[in-house]
Amino acid sequence: MAFLDRTARTFLLSEIVAGFVLTLKYIFKPKVTVNYPFEKGPLSPRFRGEHALRRYSNGEERCIACKLCEAICPALAITIEAEPRADGSRRTTRYDIDMTKCIYCGYCQESCPVDAIVEGPNFEFSTETREELMYDKEKLLANGDRWEAEIAANLAAEAPYR
Amino acid sequence: MPKMKIDGIEIEVPAGISVLQACEMAGIEIPRFCYHERLSIAGNCRMCLVEQEKAPKPIASCAMPVMEGMVIHTNTPMVKKARNGVMEFLLINHPLDCPICDQGGECDLQDQAMAYGYDRSRFHENKRAVPDKELGPLVKTSMNRCIQCTRCVRFATEVAGIEDLGATGRGEQMEITTYVQRTLTSELSGNIVDLCPVGALTSKPYAFNARPWELRKTQSIDVMDALGSNIRIDTRGREVMRVLPRINEDINEEWIADKTRHAIDGLKRQRLDRPYVRRNGKLQPVDWTEAFDVIATRLKDVAGAKIAAIVGDQCDAEAMLALKDLMAALGSSAVECRQDGAQLDASVRGAYLFNAGIAGIDRADAILLVGANPRWEAPVLNARIRKRYLAGKVRIGLIGEVPMDLTYPVERLGHGPSALDDVAEGRLAFLDALKGAKNPMIILGQGALCRPDGAAVLARTRVLAESVNAVRDDWNGFCVLHTAAARVAALDLGLVTPGGIEGVFAGCEKGDIEVVYLLAADEFDMKRLGKAFVIYQGHHGDAGAHRADVVLPGAAYAEKPGIYANTEGRIQLARRAGFPPGEAREDWAILRALSAVLGKKLPYDSLDQLRQRLVQANPVFAALDRQEAGAWGTFGTPGAMGDAPFRSPIANYYMTCPISRASQTMAACTAVRQAQQQALAAE
Amino acid sequence: MTLAQFFTTHWLGHLIVMVAQCLAIVVPLLVAVAYMTYADRKIWAAIQLRRGPNVVGPFGLLQPFADGLKLVLKETIVPSGANKVLFVLAPMITFITALIAWAVVPFDDGWVVADINVGILYLFAISSLGVYGIMIAGWASNSKYAFLGALRSAAQMVSYEVSIGFVLITVLLCAGSLNLSAIVKAQEGGFWSWYWLPLFPMFIVFFISALAETNRTPFDLPMSEAELVAGFHTEYSAMTFGLFFLGEYANMILLSGMGAVLFLGGWYSPLPFAPFTWIPGVVWFALKIAVLLFVFSWTKGTVPRYRYDQLMRLGWKVFLPFSLLWVALTAAAIQLFGWGPG
Repeated sequence: MAFLDRTARTFLLSEIVAGFVLTLKYIFKPKVTVNYPFEKGPLSPRFRGEHALRRYSNGEERCIACKLCEAICPALAITIEAEPRADGSRRTTRYDIDMTKCIYCGYCQESCPVDAIVEGPNFEFSTETREELMYDKEKLLANGDRWEAEIAANLAAEAPYR
Repeated sequence: MPKMKIDGIEIEVPAGISVLQACEMAGIEIPRFCYHERLSIAGNCRMCLVEQEKAPKPIASCAMPVMEGMVIHTNTPMVKKARNGVMEFLLINHPLDCPICDQGGECDLQDQAMAYGYDRSRFHENKRAVPDKELGPLVKTSMNRCIQCTRCVRFATEVAGIEDLGATGRGEQMEITTYVQRTLTSELSGNIVDLCPVGALTSKPYAFNARPWELRKTQSIDVMDALGSNIRIDTRGREVMRVLPRINEDINEEWIADKTRHAIDGLKRQRLDRPYVRRNGKLQPVDWTEAFDVIATRLKDVAGAKIAAIVGDQCDAEAMLALKDLMAALGSSAVECRQDGAQLDASVRGAYLFNAGIAGIDRADAILLVGANPRWEAPVLNARIRKRYLAGKVRIGLIGEVPMDLTYPVERLGHGPSALDDVAEGRLAFLDALKGAKNPMIILGQGALCRPDGAAVLARTRVLAESVNAVRDDWNGFCVLHTAAARVAALDLGLVTPGGIEGVFAGCEKGDIEVVYLLAADEFDMKRLGKAFVIYQGHHGDAGAHRADVVLPGAAYAEKPGIYANTEGRIQLARRAGFPPGEAREDWAILRALSAVLGKKLPYDSLDQLRQRLVQANPVFAALDRQEAGAWGTFGTPGAMGDAPFRSPIANYYMTCPISRASQTMAACTAVRQAQQQALAAE
Repeated sequence: MTLAQFFTTHWLGHLIVMVAQCLAIVVPLLVAVAYMTYADRKIWAAIQLRRGPNVVGPFGLLQPFADGLKLVLKETIVPSGANKVLFVLAPMITFITALIAWAVVPFDDGWVVADINVGILYLFAISSLGVYGIMIAGWASNSKYAFLGALRSAAQMVSYEVSIGFVLITVLLCAGSLNLSAIVKAQEGGFWSWYWLPLFPMFIVFFISALAETNRTPFDLPMSEAELVAGFHTEYSAMTFGLFFLGEYANMILLSGMGAVLFLGGWYSPLPFAPFTWIPGVVWFALKIAVLLFVFSWTKGTVPRYRYDQLMRLGWKVFLPFSLLWVALTAAAIQLFGWGPG
């Protein structure tokens, strides 16, 4: 009987038909994908996106060139050079992040004693050339100015856990 | 030899040492801030507290001498608690600015706070604020960070011999200060940066430049003076970031001079980074092949006797030997190293060495300085003489014009050769001091030798040394203090000509010498080369390069591995810390390449082969890091001496070589020093 | 000379007619190919609960043109080690063979460019030639992936052509003609009188073989991304790749057309009465092709790729004996019961 049953199933293509029916049913199910460029998924306050260098509210840049982020960076993506500024304070003359090396681990923002370097919520920063992904200080500070509201909100949301 | 017990370890220690030292001998590290091996004991940081059995409270181990039967514990809860407490007190007023502090990463307080500190503060009041002090162009202060260990004060007072620093106030008001606003007037001031256990004193030229963990550390040898101080060159990428001392008890202990430490920014300026050839009176950049071709063309029909070479003061032995070999291949034996005109005698090794050794100063009990200004010619050596002075029972005499305080009292015996005669013939009582001394030492400076009658002075001093029994089997107190790092190695290689540098100049002026090869030689008046065709191989666009017809860019000392012999004849190996800029190459390699173009290929293709040849040329070069005793014999030319006073050839300590002349830091130091002198003169 | 005379007798008239006929087939065909790629992606996405292309134009309808434009504008890279002539020739062969087969396909009664007697043989021959494009591409690329892909493709297409051949034999046994229009006319009537019903197992064999013939999932081993990067067209870029792509989809449409002609009654309406018969036959024909193409895409979304030995086993040890047997059975039945065409 079992043999007959199996043979019948084979010749009547029951399994493949069942499979086809299943996929046919799925065609009419609602889509689960987010319609990305037009709608976006939720982001955690801990999301680690594009880097930014922040400023204090008086416009003074936060980064003090302590180089801890450079030291901790496992991908060696950060390059910092520093010297005393005219007023004697410690500032970077160069703060470069090679975004093509970066692995977005977030150690830099963890290590930063003044919350200067942060990974903001922006993940849409693709470029047409590789060179554009070599971020310099100017670009990072501009990012900081652009995303300050979101970054500050995220940091505030995370403050109890730090 | 008291016996004691430390953490259960039975140990017998020399009498008179401190408990802290005894613990170190037992292999136990005691945290400390104020204690330093080479400074007096202050006992004010209290970090080194240990527990002694039968003592009512913890004891400061650095200040407690060992006693028979002591039982010490260094790891009990009481010790731990005591150190935690001390650390908490230290941190009360220490600002939390590690991220902007240059000491971060190599800070004693940071490290020990990791071991003994609490992770938060119980101090909610305001921290004290202390105004920063202006200590000159080399030392940057941030006095808020100071923990009053007074290491800097003790260093300045004891080692550097300047009483510029001190502490005022008590308790919370205590401050380290210069009393009056004045710059440190020491050539050793950079060392207080190393000594400072926190970030209160940091290096000003290096401020905010790099972090210790970014730096690649290379063991090297200093060439700014002839001491051959052991240094560590810290580089980041190809840039030399700073120079720190290495410990070598026989040479520099753990100090280095400010020029050694801070002239390195000269390595980035005025560098020759590509070959040049003079055309129509102007130097034009060319490539190596073209530069070599120009040399080959010019040398084609020149007899060997019409070629001369002068080596500079900072060359490595390998390059000098390669030059000598090349000149020999070209048929010339005229290679001269004494570009300052010093009447040194290369025939007897004992005639040009600091025979007693730098460490020998510690044993000397009468020192006569002849034409030397050790404070400017070798500041670290000067500190060693001061150390000897502090140890007591020594008489120090000085013949020569030295317009400054040597940081220890000297008996000024006169200015010129006549004073030397006076001492030698007993007209001055100092002869008795030398004769009565067990280990008399006569330090002969270049000021006494770089003069037409230098050979006579040399002979006179030799006779004096022999007459006061300074030259014995177990002691040779005849000491020549050089100012050029390359000089001893050059003399060991026999790079002298019968007529000396004046002979070369005369040849140039008469036209007997048509081609002069300068190996980084810049320290003489280039006009004296007459109309000769000048090939300059060196690293800086200094006097030599300006005069040259062909410029070949070489490497400075940090950029090539090299062997140097210091003033005591000690052979030392420096390693390469970086690479020369642009198309510049190591000097021996340039000479080797040039030799191939000239059709006189030198028989070595690698530095190892060249070093083998070096040992062949003079076996002393095999004795790395040892001071080979120099042979003794008759040297110098007895004769009449003039009556001009002995003057040190160094007119400005901070600018003595192409590197330091190119250095902005050294320029700043010079400016400050001149301003000080003017202010002094005005008073 | 009247216009009719010009077009029927003058050589120039013939030429114009021919070009017009070609364009009338090729242009809609290429548009169909374009939208086939779009539909393919949409169906596939739907099965995976995705959205598919939806950004370019309304509902992403302009996506195929964007893709085509991209392919045209990109740089054609010819590998330095490649045989340059053959490398460029290969995609043309694939593309041209996929197009010229359409000459004999009847879109409606009499709507056929070349109504030749051996139409089915012609189709068979042309679809066999297509494999040369792939083989040449694989060989001329001078790349191991391309070469392995070409070997697989050749073996696979040859294997499955054998069973397709037997399937065709059963059909022409029933129809008694090699002319495609005649085969369609032999199926006149409702969907019950089409050949899919009596020859149902052969229809299945035909369809599966068509999948293999066009290198579609689950038989896309010649270009399997996971092992061979992209198989025979690994080294192709821009429009050379585009021609392969077009050829592949044109082939799919062609085989769907063959399926419609051979088993689904060509241009006939499934229900042979009004109002269905008012709809022109060409529409029915297109609809049938569309249904088959949908199944192509549906299959791609349903079944995983075969292992190569499984593919070969299926071709030689299952389909070949099975279709051979069915040929024998069909022939016997026609002979014994006299069901054959007059």
